[in-house]
Amino acid sequence: MKKLIRYLGLLTSLCVLALVLSSCGTKKAASQSVLSRAEETNTIVWGVKADTKLFGLMDVKDSQIKGFDVDIAKALTKQILGSKGKASFIQVSSQTRIPLLKNGNIDAVVATMTITPDRQKVVDFSDHYFNAGQSLLVKKGSSVKSVKDLDKTGTRVLAVTGANSVANFQKVAPKARVLELQDYAQALQALKSGQGQALTTDNGILLGMAAENPGYQVVGSAFTKEPYGIAVNKGQKAFVNKINQALKKIRENGEYDRIVKKWFGNISGFDYKEAEK
Amino acid sequence: MQNFIDAYSWVNARYLLEGLWITIEVSVISIILSYILGAILGLIRYIKLKYVSAIVGFVIDLIRNLPLLLIIFFTYFGLPNIGVRLNPIWSSILAMSIFESAMLAEIIRSGISAVDPGQMEGARANGLSYWQAMWHIVLPQAQKKMIPTIVSQFISLIKDTSLATIIVLPDLMYHAQIIYGQNSNYILPMFLALAVMYFVVCYLLSILSHYLERRLA
Repeated sequence: MKKLIRYLGLLTSLCVLALVLSSCGTKKAASQSVLSRAEETNTIVWGVKADTKLFGLMDVKDSQIKGFDVDIAKALTKQILGSKGKASFIQVSSQTRIPLLKNGNIDAVVATMTITPDRQKVVDFSDHYFNAGQSLLVKKGSSVKSVKDLDKTGTRVLAVTGANSVANFQKVAPKARVLELQDYAQALQALKSGQGQALTTDNGILLGMAAENPGYQVVGSAFTKEPYGIAVNKGQKAFVNKINQALKKIRENGEYDRIVKKWFGNISGFDYKEAEK
Repeated sequence: MQNFIDAYSWVNARYLLEGLWITIEVSVISIILSYILGAILGLIRYIKLKYVSAIVGFVIDLIRNLPLLLIIFFTYFGLPNIGVRLNPIWSSILAMSIFESAMLAEIIRSGISAVDPGQMEGARANGLSYWQAMWHIVLPQAQKKMIPTIVSQFISLIKDTSLATIIVLPDLMYHAQIIYGQNSNYILPMFLALAVMYFVVCYLLSILSHYLERRLA
């Protein structure tokens, strides 16, 4: 008994120590101005995905991350810091992007991140830079024609963890069960091996998969609106304003249009005009 | 079949090997650090120093009963709060070393305990000091008993590095994910390649363990 009390005492003191330490830390990270640091070092550190086709994918040949998000980040860097400004990229996943932003490892997140009220409580978003919509990928000849066909008990739908698509889908089809997988390729493999009747995520990503796998198709129109935003830590209003100005400028000078066409122009079935809005 | 041929292209294979190198790097550094730290902690717990051994014992129990993934989260997401910002590689090494040294400390402590107490008494009766007896008589015998368990702990360490893909450690597992991200048809070929690579590395280590056992026996 005595031993137990001693152990508990030690545990509590450790917890208190951890609390004290963490409270000192948060103050420090929030008070630094990201913008002035970026201007000093002439570098903006962007968090991007490295495993998502079209948006941010590591090129195995030259170890460079390439995609729509990456090009947008590069264009914004040029606008904010001038033509000599450097954009540096850190790989994030849906699980790590917010903690990394809060810790100051990265200045901003451009990683297929939908603006949602829940997320707005923890981070600030820029204006949206892409309009995705959530859709379904099924095997050709499947009886599933739209999201309504999936709203039955016993249906299983595949999605990716940490992404917004899970919560969205549960709203429109509450009776279906959602299986969450680690990444898109795994979700697609699960669909192929019959673990679920459909795969749900943003239509751009699904169309990319359908182009690669002729036996699969995207069905039904988009059943949600997914405006992607650039996330910045709370308390960095000046930086958010700069990003918004830069976004406006690249939309005006045609650079934005060029980037969208570069990545989505030749994906059949993708309405990039809708995405640009 | 075509998928397999395309998936194992020279570029992809090279990229996988780069990932394997990171896995080995993280594993080797963690193995060295955790072995040293584990031996010290295990000894401290064994010799029952007043207070110190109790605290060390508590810390070992605490760490041993946490999931490794949680420790990785602490070193990557928690430490920056106190101003220590490590990249994924060093966060992983730190997390693996902390976790494995607690595991090894227990293996080493029980290994020493398993040596017949008569050995120590006999050595002391022959005029050796406590530490001389420990170093020359008890530890060599304990080591022989511990080798298989320690090596299997190292093997699970190598495999557990794959957990750190979640904090984007560019290891073998993560590089495979990137490759099948390029083309989702590569997923099965990549899983197969992962199986072969992890097996080869871990099997080499267990061969080494058999060799050491035979030599020391």
